[in-house]
Amino acid sequence: MRDAQHLGSHLATRWLGVGLAAVLSVVTLGLALTGRLALYINPDSTWFAVGMAVLVLIGAALSFALPLGAEDDHGHDHGDARDDDHGDHAQGHRTHPAALAATVVGGVAASGVVLLTLVVPPASLSAELAMSRDVGAPPLFAGSDAVTLASTGDTASFGVGEWATVFATATNPDAFDGDTVTLTGFVTPADGAEGFDLTRLVITHCVIDAQPASIPVAAPDALEIGQWVTITGTVSSTADGRLEIDASSVEPIDEPADPYEY
Amino acid sequence: MSRSDPRLTPAPSGAGARAARRGSGPSARTAAVAFGIGVLVIAGLFLIDAYAPGLFPAALPTRAQDGLTLAISVLIESMPFVALGVVLSIVVQVWVPAGVIERWMPRRAWARRMVLSLLGMFVPVCECGNVPFARGLLMRGFTVPETLTFLIAAPIVNPIVIITTHQAFGFSDGILIARLLGGYAIANLIGWLYSRHPDPDALLTDRFRETCDLVVHEPGDRARRSLAQFVIELRAVMPALVIGSALAGAVQVLIPREALLAIGSNPALSIVAMMALAMVVAICSNVDAFFALSFASTFTPGSIVAFLLVGPLVDIKMLALMRTTFTTRTLTGIVVVVVLSAFAIGSVVNLLA
Repeated sequence: MRDAQHLGSHLATRWLGVGLAAVLSVVTLGLALTGRLALYINPDSTWFAVGMAVLVLIGAALSFALPLGAEDDHGHDHGDARDDDHGDHAQGHRTHPAALAATVVGGVAASGVVLLTLVVPPASLSAELAMSRDVGAPPLFAGSDAVTLASTGDTASFGVGEWATVFATATNPDAFDGDTVTLTGFVTPADGAEGFDLTRLVITHCVIDAQPASIPVAAPDALEIGQWVTITGTVSSTADGRLEIDASSVEPIDEPADPYEY
Repeated sequence: MSRSDPRLTPAPSGAGARAARRGSGPSARTAAVAFGIGVLVIAGLFLIDAYAPGLFPAALPTRAQDGLTLAISVLIESMPFVALGVVLSIVVQVWVPAGVIERWMPRRAWARRMVLSLLGMFVPVCECGNVPFARGLLMRGFTVPETLTFLIAAPIVNPIVIITTHQAFGFSDGILIARLLGGYAIANLIGWLYSRHPDPDALLTDRFRETCDLVVHEPGDRARRSLAQFVIELRAVMPALVIGSALAGAVQVLIPREALLAIGSNPALSIVAMMALAMVVAICSNVDAFFALSFASTFTPGSIVAFLLVGPLVDIKMLALMRTTFTTRTLTGIVVVVVLSAFAIGSVVNLLA
């Protein structure tokens, strides 16, 4: 009976530590191998995530060679005063059902999340979340470089994030009037009456810091919120001095494999 | 969970269990077989990862899916740092000979704490990795207040954090300076406060003290001790990391951001709002400056500083991780000190800026 209890707790130790870490490492490597790690983290740190995942898996495989329970089986045969301590603690654990329950609930919850991670297909954040994160303040993470670059006309590599920064911070809107753009993003409701906002989530490090960047698009057609589109058009300044995109074509597309900008 | 699917369980080979009962190390051959089983189990995990998603084509509700996506992203992003922290913890605990670090340390308690709070400069892990590393320091014999000082200072006094904060804010409004000096001061304040505690060991959880006792008496050669430490540290940190990440993801989809941001530019309330936001969003200190930057136009500089001070030290994920080692009471004390100090520093910045 006590042996079975010990076996159970040793197994739980392995599963909740090395096991969870191994599953997450497998998920990380699986995503990296299929080129989808960018759904969760900035591709710049892929090498680090992959390297450490391999290390964890090597450690996990090696840990099978460590006899079960070896990590906390010793100390029992120490004849010093600490033995009493040990007894007390062990006793304490057994007589605190609340603490035990908390450990079990926490363990089950953590296992549940990690197993979901393993079996649920990866997904990108929804348009609803992007809208709820839009606090009205323009995203400035691209820094002032974008505006400097834009004024030199070198906007070929610009995404929604860069253009949103330019639109929000440009001091001389007319300088961009007439620039042609081709941009991909999803549709969110516009502040004004006409058209829609083209939105993209921009990530600095990982998805939890994702921030929406959006630019106003003047287009006649009404589109469903959250629909991904590729638009072609020109930058034009409105009567009240704001910039917007005058779309010549709006083409609905499937969600791209790389839904975020970095 | 682990019982229901034997393939997922880091398995108890009969040989391993027998060896444990004998109390001696397994022979090289059993070890090789066990390693082989480990490789097979991991290969099995890869197969599940590749094929199981095909069996779940039906999508979760949008909100649940968003929460899960956020939680997974924090997990995948912080997992390598935790692994690095565990490796460093193994290095300080098992591989650095006794006395090597200690010889370089000043003797006076306050001077030791000041040096330790700068250790973050040389330890390239962000806040999640600091917890296993700090546990390694504790097991090595550093006192609780000293380790706390390191743990609180390291996420802020850290080269990557300094660089990204400078990239985001430059020297405008003294945000960078206030963050660095503030973080350093808070860490030393907490270290000093807890050094007055009559029984510092009481700040630690029973479980951690037991682990310490075990680790110190660890038998076997260094490779074996490293492996045991690897198992122990991951067991301590992983559930907390997963639960902390899940909470961070859930809170983000449940609490509307406007609710916090409606408070706007009121000097005092904006500080409170940004501190609440910092605890909720649980962003790594490496990048939180960029995140804060987008609020800089609507919020006071002092509230940005408070955000940058509170977030790395006591956000949801960090509290879950620190709970592995420190008692709830200790953590409450730390949160109170950090929040009050950050509020005071933020107010000063607002008055000066």
